[in-house]
Amino acid sequence: MDIGISATEYLSLVRNGEISVEEFIAKTLDRIHVVEDKVHAYITVDEQNALNKARSIDKKIKAKERVGLFLGMPISIKDNICTSGIRTTCASKMLENFVAPYDATVVSRLKHEDVIVLGKVNLDEFAMGSTTEFSYFGPSRNPWNVEYVPGGSSGGSGVSVSALECMISLGSDTGGSVRSPASFCSVVGLKPTYGLVSRYGLVSYANSIEQIGPIARKVEDIALVMNVIAGHDSHDDTTVEKGNVDYVKDLDAGVKGKKIGLVQQMMEDGVDKEVSTATNNAISKLQDLGAECIPISLDSVEHSVAAYYTIASAEASSNLARYDNLRYGFDLGTEGYEFKAYVSKVRSSFGHEVTRRMLLGAFVLSAGYYGKYYLKAQKVRAMMKSQIDETFKKVDFLVAPTMPILPFKIGEKIDDPLTLYQLDINTIMANLTGIPAISVPFSISSFGLPIGIQIFANSFQEKSLLHAAYALQQTTHLPEVPL
Amino acid sequence: MVDRKEIEHLGDLVKVNLQDTEKYISQVDQILNYFANLDKVEYDSDTTLRKEISYEDLREDKHEPFLVDGMSLINKLKRDQNNFIRAPKMI
Repeated sequence: MDIGISATEYLSLVRNGEISVEEFIAKTLDRIHVVEDKVHAYITVDEQNALNKARSIDKKIKAKERVGLFLGMPISIKDNICTSGIRTTCASKMLENFVAPYDATVVSRLKHEDVIVLGKVNLDEFAMGSTTEFSYFGPSRNPWNVEYVPGGSSGGSGVSVSALECMISLGSDTGGSVRSPASFCSVVGLKPTYGLVSRYGLVSYANSIEQIGPIARKVEDIALVMNVIAGHDSHDDTTVEKGNVDYVKDLDAGVKGKKIGLVQQMMEDGVDKEVSTATNNAISKLQDLGAECIPISLDSVEHSVAAYYTIASAEASSNLARYDNLRYGFDLGTEGYEFKAYVSKVRSSFGHEVTRRMLLGAFVLSAGYYGKYYLKAQKVRAMMKSQIDETFKKVDFLVAPTMPILPFKIGEKIDDPLTLYQLDINTIMANLTGIPAISVPFSISSFGLPIGIQIFANSFQEKSLLHAAYALQQTTHLPEVPL
Repeated sequence: MVDRKEIEHLGDLVKVNLQDTEKYISQVDQILNYFANLDKVEYDSDTTLRKEISYEDLREDKHEPFLVDGMSLINKLKRDQNNFIRAPKMI
């Protein structure tokens, strides 16, 4: 049995009785046992519950009872999305044993449609990072070469899907955290429009820019998930109704007659030669399919990294103030401690990156510097949104490399936070302006490392964005993961 | 230039006992210098992004008990004592 099949193929095989859910889940768990030592995607695997649920779905199928749309499909969930019954650690010592009392809305919607949650996957602590090296539980490794980073912060999601340890994963994208691992691990990752997917149950890091998004091996699988998770949630007042949009229907509508802009500022200095060649090849492929491609200049991109990290750090320092080891926390008794000393001691268990961002956030929000940093950052954000609005009057999509460089070795950049921040330059525009963006695996470098191409669309245009992504995907013939 | 005193003050503000202070000084300073590029941006508008939602569109403001295994959340906390959280002494 091939566990590398797409979600659509899986549904067809289960529906036709060619495989049972239990067989597929057992086989996927076997795969986890074999590869997990090499790639470390999972923080927690919920093996027994997964098998029990698989048996119960098989029984329902046999008895011709109502079974949810996903027919027991195995998925993984980034460990900053709450799941009742399985711990949600945020890859932090602070939440090492935290079990949420409820499911995030995205999780309950998927469970209602009979997915099977195999477990919770690794991330940079509190989703702050772009390599998954900043996890309290240790780094995840790229299945295409285990010496290399898988991207982040949803690295466990990207790795688990790429290494065939599940079929679909949910990640969260604050500055590229779904798209970066998708690109580095040769899978598809979508950051939906801000407000299209509920954040209820997503542990807050930077509320005004983060979104939950799916990672899968095929664009059609992303469409399937979006049909279930998108739409208004009364627990999250930033969400909107999705209406009658069916993301799966007419997925092969193509890009004929569409206008596509190549973002010049995302193809300039610092872009790896193989990445820029791949991007130009992708543009040629889209042209062959009938799209018109033009260069587009967005000068706000130059200041986007500074604006993004100012805003994200400010929101992070505020959100993380709640971790005092009294309401949430690990096991350290309060006896013998004075309040301030106790809180400062327990908060010292945050990792370096989280601490660094809290310090930066406190600085940019402080009275003397608020106007110089935070307010300016918000203005850059408004300027960027205005430029994006104007741009989408001229084009249907924007295209750029997802990541400017190829995956790099674990440890190579860990002591250089500014360089790591600058690698987000191509992804953060979607977060600052709220628009959707998708990373599609496009080619493999001469050293065998994946290259992803990113496509942006205007707000709430996910349906046409998926058409473009599907069209691009159909032009590729990529090798299987060498693991 | 951020100095040791400022970093220690920031540590105090975010309630963290900083170890490796020297490393934070150089890294935070380097990053703030980079952020300072924001000063070069010329954008006249005083608008910042915001979206207005009318009061009627918000969910009804009514109490919905949140119970887990029949217990309110506060009773699930490890250091709960008669609906209070047991914290270290303030003074």
